[in-house]
Amino acid sequence: MHYIILSIFFPVLFGVFLLVRKEMEHRKNLLIAVSIAFIISALLTILALCLSGNGMFTLFNLAGRLPVLFKIDEISIIFASMTLIIYICAGVYSFVYMKHEEKEKRYYGFYLIVLGILIALCFAGNLITFYFFYELLTISSVPLVMHNRSREAIMAGLKYLFYSLCGAYMVLFGLYFVERYGNTLTFSAGGVISASAAAEHGEILLVLAMLMLIGFGVKAGMFPMHAWLPTAHPVAPAPASAVLSAVIVKAGVLAIVRVIYYIYGVSFLRGTWVQTAFMVLSLTTVFMGSMLAYREPVLKKRLAYSTVSQLSYILFGLAVMDAGSVAGGLLHVLSHGFIKAALFLCAGAVIYMTGKTRVDQLKGIGKEMPFIMWCFTIASLGLIGIPPTGGFLSKWYLAEGALSSGICGFSWIGPVVLLISALLTAGYLLPVVIQGFFPGEDYDYGALQKKEPPLFMTIPVLILTVLSVLIGLFPEWLLNYLSQIIEKII
Amino acid sequence: MILLVILIPVIAGVLLFLIPFKKRSQMEVFLEALVIINSILVWYLLFHRPAEIFTLANFTGNLSISFKVDGMSMVFGGLVSALWPFATLYAFEYMTKEEHEKVFFMFYTMTYGVTLGISLAANLLTMYFFYELLTLVTVPLVMHTLTREAILASRKYLYYSLGGAAFAFIGLIFVIIYGSTTNFVLGGVMDLTKIGERTNVLLLIYVMAFAGFGVKAAIFPFNSWLPDAGVAPTPVTALLHAVAVVKSGAFAIIRLTYYSFGTEFLKGTWAQTIVMLITMFTIVYGCSRAIKETHLKRRLAYSTISNLSYILFGVTIMTPLGMAGALTHLVFHAVMKISSFFCAGAIMHQTGRHYVHELDGMGYKMPAVFGIFTVSAFALMGVPGLAGFVSKWYLASAAVESGNVIAFFGIGCLLISALLTAIYMLTIVGRGFFPQRDFDMASLEGIKDPNWKMLLPLFVFTFCIAIFGLYSGPLVNFFTSVAAGVY
Repeated sequence: MHYIILSIFFPVLFGVFLLVRKEMEHRKNLLIAVSIAFIISALLTILALCLSGNGMFTLFNLAGRLPVLFKIDEISIIFASMTLIIYICAGVYSFVYMKHEEKEKRYYGFYLIVLGILIALCFAGNLITFYFFYELLTISSVPLVMHNRSREAIMAGLKYLFYSLCGAYMVLFGLYFVERYGNTLTFSAGGVISASAAAEHGEILLVLAMLMLIGFGVKAGMFPMHAWLPTAHPVAPAPASAVLSAVIVKAGVLAIVRVIYYIYGVSFLRGTWVQTAFMVLSLTTVFMGSMLAYREPVLKKRLAYSTVSQLSYILFGLAVMDAGSVAGGLLHVLSHGFIKAALFLCAGAVIYMTGKTRVDQLKGIGKEMPFIMWCFTIASLGLIGIPPTGGFLSKWYLAEGALSSGICGFSWIGPVVLLISALLTAGYLLPVVIQGFFPGEDYDYGALQKKEPPLFMTIPVLILTVLSVLIGLFPEWLLNYLSQIIEKII
Repeated sequence: MILLVILIPVIAGVLLFLIPFKKRSQMEVFLEALVIINSILVWYLLFHRPAEIFTLANFTGNLSISFKVDGMSMVFGGLVSALWPFATLYAFEYMTKEEHEKVFFMFYTMTYGVTLGISLAANLLTMYFFYELLTLVTVPLVMHTLTREAILASRKYLYYSLGGAAFAFIGLIFVIIYGSTTNFVLGGVMDLTKIGERTNVLLLIYVMAFAGFGVKAAIFPFNSWLPDAGVAPTPVTALLHAVAVVKSGAFAIIRLTYYSFGTEFLKGTWAQTIVMLITMFTIVYGCSRAIKETHLKRRLAYSTISNLSYILFGVTIMTPLGMAGALTHLVFHAVMKISSFFCAGAIMHQTGRHYVHELDGMGYKMPAVFGIFTVSAFALMGVPGLAGFVSKWYLASAAVESGNVIAFFGIGCLLISALLTAIYMLTIVGRGFFPQRDFDMASLEGIKDPNWKMLLPLFVFTFCIAIFGLYSGPLVNFFTSVAAGVY
């Protein structure tokens, strides 16, 4: 039990410590301290995951009936391990990358605080605790977005802040009612809405379910509240964009998993207009995100639009509420996490070494930085969904689940939209690769210089890329694990 | 005893004016000691409550000036007497840069006694008497700087308040005629046999009296005096125009609704709908105006307008839970808002800057003040773990519990207002800590945090905000039992 508390509060307190201490201005001290912090928090989190079992643990009562409560279940394990891996990879990567930005101390301070809060979100045992840390997450991740203090970055940070808060307040609206009409706010597989409340206040509960889904959907970049994501993610320093796009948005996904499967319950939502509306919104986002990414010239922005689209794959899987699609969705959580982090880190490496940000400047980049661009290529193939990568597997399950769900119309519209979007994904990622490796005959090979980045940057990228492929190559263990979860919640 | 706590500050104020102090520090010690002693007496009184009503003077019939300590008095009196010593301490430092200190402190201290008079009043007449007095003793405070702007603002304040009190007076008369007594009894004193067919007239009178007392609580459309009165020195704006005066308005409305007219009489009528709609509108209106405002103190004043209507929204739900929610917000908002006002005052005192766009990069020069301001901003917008979340939670869950559909929309208003609050508070915080890249930090040379007299109250309030947010159980239980009539 203590490990849960420690794994949450150690990074947070350490981050605060970094922010207030002056001697950490010195770069060497800072990096040593941060590395130690990473190692300790990783150890603590692993210990928490291994040793805590299934018990519930109440920290204290916020007020009256609102306990702050932690519990580790299978969903927590999946999200927490993904968070930890990506976070540490991006953290190691920033040791080099952040050299060309100022105020590193502040960056690492908030980076660690956000880590602690993300772990807390994974371990949260009821909706209040979740909401508590969800709002803290928004506030503490804004400084990462605003980091370089250009006018654009500050505006983007504020946009992110206000969109997220707007979502959070929509959730809060639902929370007030669920607290009154539900049996409890503790996450329990199958939902907490009592039959009598469902019969008596069914309509209003459905409206609130929709509000909560849209509200949490803000973090997951779902239409109609997606606009902050392509503005905010690219202006952050590259490793911060990587964690924003790969991990922090997953807090929204986690929230939606919790709301659908652990608060409302499948039996309450299946077949209602809420399910239909949610599917429509997620499919719209899938298509729209891909289209916008397709016509975006700046690489990091293109990747951010791609995040909008890919996250809604997951949301669609969750919305279908079929065993296969949920498995696909949860698989995609992992594979999209690794892939998108790798892609952002590659884009960051290009910026760090050459300063190029637009896709049309990247001609011949594969000749200059072959290793990074190979990783970029493999990750891109994964995102498009070409076997044997993890992306293929998750999309396969998503489509299969949608087809077998038998929901009128959506069982075939869904897979079609997913396929079109996969095509578009190929359309916006592969040109980067093709131009990079085949610059054409007017390319000046004489001026070619090798610009491979240092090991601290390449190794994290390599690890993430390899992981994204491994999911596709050896999926049995993971799939078994997922099917255990799904048995409980559906 | 009751009379004593009301009279000590008034006499102290007069003495302060008459005694020729040699040094300023002597005056400070004298005043601070008296205020603290008085606060201790008040708290002693609240814990050892005399059971019977203390009558000072009896007019004809059932009209009397009398005092009693009941649950509501405990909440409001306790709040005021807890805040006053800190505010006085802060004022000592703040007023070093203003003139006519003695006059200022005289009226400032007298206000303490008058406010306690309102909170301890046992019937409508007594409350009304102190309510009028409060207007009169605070006018000189608003006028303090004697600029043209200040004189206009105080004149406006005077006219608005007196006008409102006149409306409230009509309510008083009807309660005298149609009630069984004018004493405050939880559940109301209306005599239904006397009312007979005239229900609608009385409801109209209730709405009028609500609006009348609502002038001090700055409900729309009677709010414009409050931002204007912000020309007063900051200790006045912080303590009087965020807590004592405006909350006397809210307090009076609670007395009127729960203790005179009674919720049984009002609940479910058109009068409830109207007053609830007014408060809902004010909630959103205040916040929107706050966003538009660039003067820091005026922005906070608009925020006060919106937050006061949170309290009144809780009142208009007209259930015990709604009243408990209103009391929770009454206390929690007091702490949050006084904290943010004191920060604004500290900034003005240290730098002379009044506008939001002048605050770039200040977070690095005044880390303590800006840190505390940030906490109060988070608390006001309702970040969980701080006071604002808890009080909003109780207001909203009272609204859910009541099952009143308009109240459901009211929750929506609360949340819209929370978002707007985030916008107008966090843009300030953002400026303070994230000035734009090309901002010249050298222009802030020489600016630093104020001394302990200003910082101590700020730290205490911030501590309270966090404690209320994390562990509010006992306090809220107390409010709930006040609303249930235990005390």
